[in-house]
Amino acid sequence: MLNTLATIFKDNWEWRKQIGRLAMFELVKKSRGAVLSWAWFFIKPAIYIFCFWFALALGLRVGSPDPSAPPYLLWLCAGIIPWFFMQDMLSTGVDVMHRYPYLVNKIKFPLSGISSIFTLATMIVQLMLMVALFVIYFACGMGFDVYLLQVPVLLALMFMFWDAVSILCSQLSAISKDFANLIHAMGTPFFWLSGVLFSVQDINVGWIQTILDFNPITFFVTAFRNAFYDKTWFWEDTSMCVGFLVVFVATVVVMAVIYRKFNEEVADVL
Amino acid sequence: MSSSEEGAAEDKLLRKTSISDEVVIEFDDVTKTYNLYKNDRGRFLGIFNYNRKGSFLGSVDACKNLSFSVKKGEAVAFLGRNGAGKSTTLKMVTGVAHPTSGTVKVKGRVSALLELTAGFDKQLTGRENIALRGQIMGLTRAQIKELEPGIIEFAELGLYIDQPMRTYSSGMKARLGFAFAVAIEPEILVVDEALSVGDRAFQRKCIERIREIMMDETVTVLFVTHASSTAQEFCSRGIVLDHGQKVFDGSINDATDYYEKNY
Repeated sequence: MLNTLATIFKDNWEWRKQIGRLAMFELVKKSRGAVLSWAWFFIKPAIYIFCFWFALALGLRVGSPDPSAPPYLLWLCAGIIPWFFMQDMLSTGVDVMHRYPYLVNKIKFPLSGISSIFTLATMIVQLMLMVALFVIYFACGMGFDVYLLQVPVLLALMFMFWDAVSILCSQLSAISKDFANLIHAMGTPFFWLSGVLFSVQDINVGWIQTILDFNPITFFVTAFRNAFYDKTWFWEDTSMCVGFLVVFVATVVVMAVIYRKFNEEVADVL
Repeated sequence: MSSSEEGAAEDKLLRKTSISDEVVIEFDDVTKTYNLYKNDRGRFLGIFNYNRKGSFLGSVDACKNLSFSVKKGEAVAFLGRNGAGKSTTLKMVTGVAHPTSGTVKVKGRVSALLELTAGFDKQLTGRENIALRGQIMGLTRAQIKELEPGIIEFAELGLYIDQPMRTYSSGMKARLGFAFAVAIEPEILVVDEALSVGDRAFQRKCIERIREIMMDETVTVLFVTHASSTAQEFCSRGIVLDHGQKVFDGSINDATDYYEKNY
């Protein structure tokens, strides 16, 4: 298993240049054919955020009653922008082999690298959105502080974790369409049940809290909100960190096992 | 193994005459088995070694106990009927398929002319696809820039080079695929029935180009074809495959004789 893990790291390192350039091609491809091309990376999330802000802040009036608290919009953005990354990873990222069939069975390319291409491309979009988030942050009158130093750490963690998820799920999706469909069907539940639109700490049911400790989406959304809004360190919530660590390690282990078993078979079945 | 030496001995001008002793491709007892299932569900269960009756149809050995080695500079033709395992063998040389058992060793940059029209990204333009493929092959930006005009000229695409590939005809795609594969100065060139590209004039050009590459003594060429005459024109050694097994390995003339007599 450690061998497989080493192979994955080695492949990704040796092909890092190609992965980087292919990620750029992925973005070029996404923005191709539209007059507003790159602007769409912002317009779509902006509309999304506006809708939720309108429905929640104006419609349901869920914002903090305390007038001195930072605006609800910031709280919403701090959670929903990382979600955009995870949403892309959960929809396309879990089935990358079908997106790049020519890299699987026409050209020699490490299969784990294909996941890295997509994860990197999605991460570049995420970084652009993060810049937008910082603009919103400062526009809300917030100042620079040490808690923001968590952001790059969390982005790196998010990259590694979702790259592993993508490698794992893409292998299974290539072999079984059922698996791909299952994960796609989970997109909506993941969004509504993971606390992207509500604060998990406010749920006062113990066992739900415990389950959500093991939800990586909850972990990232909460951690980003801690950094931008609540101003706490993400490791202060020990049970959440332990839960995430367990899930992370389990994902990597399962990924290595699955990758070793299916890596060579995928080209035959795609 | 009576290999290339004999073929090279009959020195015909078109063929290569010198071959180094360095082995660049080595197949050692290679078997490639495809498991066939009735449907995807059966295959999924098969992964967990759960082969229910009815869903597992059986397995096919596309290659069976295949052993051979090719030296640097050799030009080898693979002959055999449909389903003899030629393409599977070449796929394993290019590294996109892996053997079920046995080992495959390949040294050097492989350029493959397998299914020329496949392997391009339809959303990108021809020019971008050249850059994309070049990068995957590990070329630097400067090298790609240098190769680009030659490829575009060879493919005769004109204005279409900056149009998305989805607007290309199948002939245009094949021409671009061919032009790219022969432009990158491969160390090992794999040609799978690729010479039927485009109109006659373009075919002639392709054959000329392949001949040029083959004359280069450092390039190893693997060639798959049904037409014995093409094989004789280009290659010095022939391997005849039948149902995944090697049934003949020798000089090209003996190999084509054997093939025509038996199949």
